[in-house]
Amino acid sequence: MNELSAALPVISARKLVKSFPMANGAELKVLRELEMQIHESEMVAIVGMSGVGKSTLLHCLGLLDSPTSGEITYRDDSRTWRSSDLSEEDRCRLRNHFIGFVFQFFHLLPDLDVLENVLLPTFISQETGEWNKKRSQFEARGESLLERVGLKGRERQAPGTLSGGERQRVAIARALMLSPKLLLCDEPTGNLDSRTSESIHQLLRELHQDLSTSILVVTHDPDLASRADRRLQMIDGRFRSESDNQQVTDSS
Amino acid sequence: MKYQNYLIQRYLSKRWAPWAATLAVTLGVFSLLTVLAVMEGFKIEMRDRIRGTLSHLVVEADPFRGLVGEDLLLEAIQGVEGVAAAAPNVTTLALYKVGVMDHCVLRGVDPIAESQVSDLARFLLSDSEINMMLRDRYMLLPPEREPMALEQVEQLFSLKRRREVMRWRLEEDPGSGFSVESPPQAIIVGIEALRSFRLQMGDVVQISSYSPVTLEPCSGNFLVVGAFQSGVYEQDLRWAFTDIRALQNTLELWDEDAEDMRLSGISVKLDDYASADQIKVDVRREIERRMLLDESDPESIPMRSPSYETWEDKRAHLIQAVEIEKRIISVLMLLIVAFAAGMIFLILMLLVIEKQRDLGVLRALGATRGGVVSLVLRQGMFLCTLGAVLGLLGGWIFLENINAFHDWVYDMTGLRLFPPDVYYLERIPAILRWEDVLLVCLPTLIFGFLGSILPAIRAGRQDPIKALHHE
Ligand SMILES: Nc1ncnc2c1ncn2[C@@H]1O[C@H](COP(=O)(O)OP(=O)(O)O)[C@@H](O)[C@H]1O
Ligand SMILES: [Mg+2]
Repeated sequence: MNELSAALPVISARKLVKSFPMANGAELKVLRELEMQIHESEMVAIVGMSGVGKSTLLHCLGLLDSPTSGEITYRDDSRTWRSSDLSEEDRCRLRNHFIGFVFQFFHLLPDLDVLENVLLPTFISQETGEWNKKRSQFEARGESLLERVGLKGRERQAPGTLSGGERQRVAIARALMLSPKLLLCDEPTGNLDSRTSESIHQLLRELHQDLSTSILVVTHDPDLASRADRRLQMIDGRFRSESDNQQVTDSS
Repeated sequence: MKYQNYLIQRYLSKRWAPWAATLAVTLGVFSLLTVLAVMEGFKIEMRDRIRGTLSHLVVEADPFRGLVGEDLLLEAIQGVEGVAAAAPNVTTLALYKVGVMDHCVLRGVDPIAESQVSDLARFLLSDSEINMMLRDRYMLLPPEREPMALEQVEQLFSLKRRREVMRWRLEEDPGSGFSVESPPQAIIVGIEALRSFRLQMGDVVQISSYSPVTLEPCSGNFLVVGAFQSGVYEQDLRWAFTDIRALQNTLELWDEDAEDMRLSGISVKLDDYASADQIKVDVRREIERRMLLDESDPESIPMRSPSYETWEDKRAHLIQAVEIEKRIISVLMLLIVAFAAGMIFLILMLLVIEKQRDLGVLRALGATRGGVVSLVLRQGMFLCTLGAVLGLLGGWIFLENINAFHDWVYDMTGLRLFPPDVYYLERIPAILRWEDVLLVCLPTLIFGFLGSILPAIRAGRQDPIKALHHE
């Protein structure tokens, strides 16, 4: 990885504001001029009280929602996108290629089997004819990802027959299918018992070591948070970062 | 994108409810198609029959003034381009008496001329045919039977024939008071008049009517010498033919002013019926021109005001009745298709609600709004199109074998769904036209689209965050 791309953040948010209209006509300001950036291959943990706006931030970063004001910039080796001038099509493409999502509730498609769930992003990005041409390539990658998350041989199982931890592993494999630059995990272990959580954390850390994907993970788990490259604490709609001063030196 | 067909396949392979909608579409298309084809076949069949003994074009006089100048009129009409032949007639409503009383439409024709302008010769029956038909009340003349030869038609109305029938009749019933030497005028009645036993061959019927000239009652005796079958019950019961001169005399149609016998009308046969509307105008123009000429002019025809109509003009109400019937039934049957589309709507709506989370996931993984809309829309259109194709196929196979099926039902249950005596139809007529196939498929697909588009739009409108929020 060259110096320049290491120096430039994969994603950065500037003066991000998100407010929701409330029933009484007033505005609920969830994000207040929030600033953040994540560098290539960085693993950042976000902690904060429930209801503080962590999910809202991830939705904005993941292009599922638009900020009220402020700008998010996405950058890969060759291109830069600004959230303010993205077309609907660009947003869909970025969601598909640039970002991988891991949700608290796994959100696997029950009608598809495990491998098909992992391949879902390719189903979305490719026309049928194209996909069929690259079928073996996609399937090989899907299988190797499943092996990587410890589910070798479970390809044809229905998601309903898996345990919670296994489902989350499938979801992680799905999120990584198209090698996104950024993995957004919203409380990935919020719905799992502590031992299973520990193994998912382990997996995330390992993947982080192996892959060049940057990871942004919202978590309540102090152990996972402490092992991240950076830990951001969200208070009152912004970050109070405990490692702000190290940010520049840490980026190697 | 690949996910759409892939997911549709998965959703459909694991549920039965969507197939119920397909089945409903299939049934709708099937019944609509069957009804349209049978109605169309019936319409064509009826059209042929409704025409009956009418010629292509009919010049018809006002009943109280008649038409005069027979030879000039015929000459004028035959001179018009596109006219093949013309024949005069006298038509009257009459009562007849043979034990019981009944009424008929009695038409006096020149047998030879009439055979050349209308299907009379095609409908006239030989003695052996009459006997067969009296034995089998469902019997129909086969369509390929040759029209009766002109000499035979002439024979039927001839004095020789009348004497023969009279002699034969007197052998059975000597006390009737008529002699073989001077039998009454000939009359030819419809086969149904014989079948209903109101009339018999050799009957002498007394016919009573009013003379439109003297406005006095008048009557005459006629001898039943033959029968015809046009294939329309009403005509075969009520119509009767006789010689035009005999009827003119009976009705005392001598016109003092014109010093000629009056006519009721002139039947015209055209070279090509397709140009009937134009020729109708030409005939009218020519006759009117001649009526306006000075009386001294040899071409001049005495002034009367006849009407000019093609046979379809004259039977418009009947033709339209069948057409309107067909239309009404199609609209009613279309309700079945609409109902099927409603089922598609409900099933897709339920699916969209059930699969809310899936749709949210797809959006989060990069599916576009339009992609999700098309996922639902495609599914609906697939169900609908499949139903339509199956219905078409089923309808086509059924219509090809409709009579075999009808016979089978008859054999199994003894039930005639389509009794032949009402319309003389031995077979169920079914004609599948491309227009009708289109008329079935297009609304079906449109209804299917309308039923699918609302759930599809709802799927597209859905906020992925909300969809993903709830477990
Ligand atoms: N669509 C919405 N409309 C109104 N308020 C919302 C909406 N989404 C989130 N909020 C509010 O914004 C705040 C932040 O929510 P969220 O980002 O889910 O918090 P968390 O940090 O627990 O993930 C909460 O008070 C929530 O009620
Ligand atoms: Mg949250």
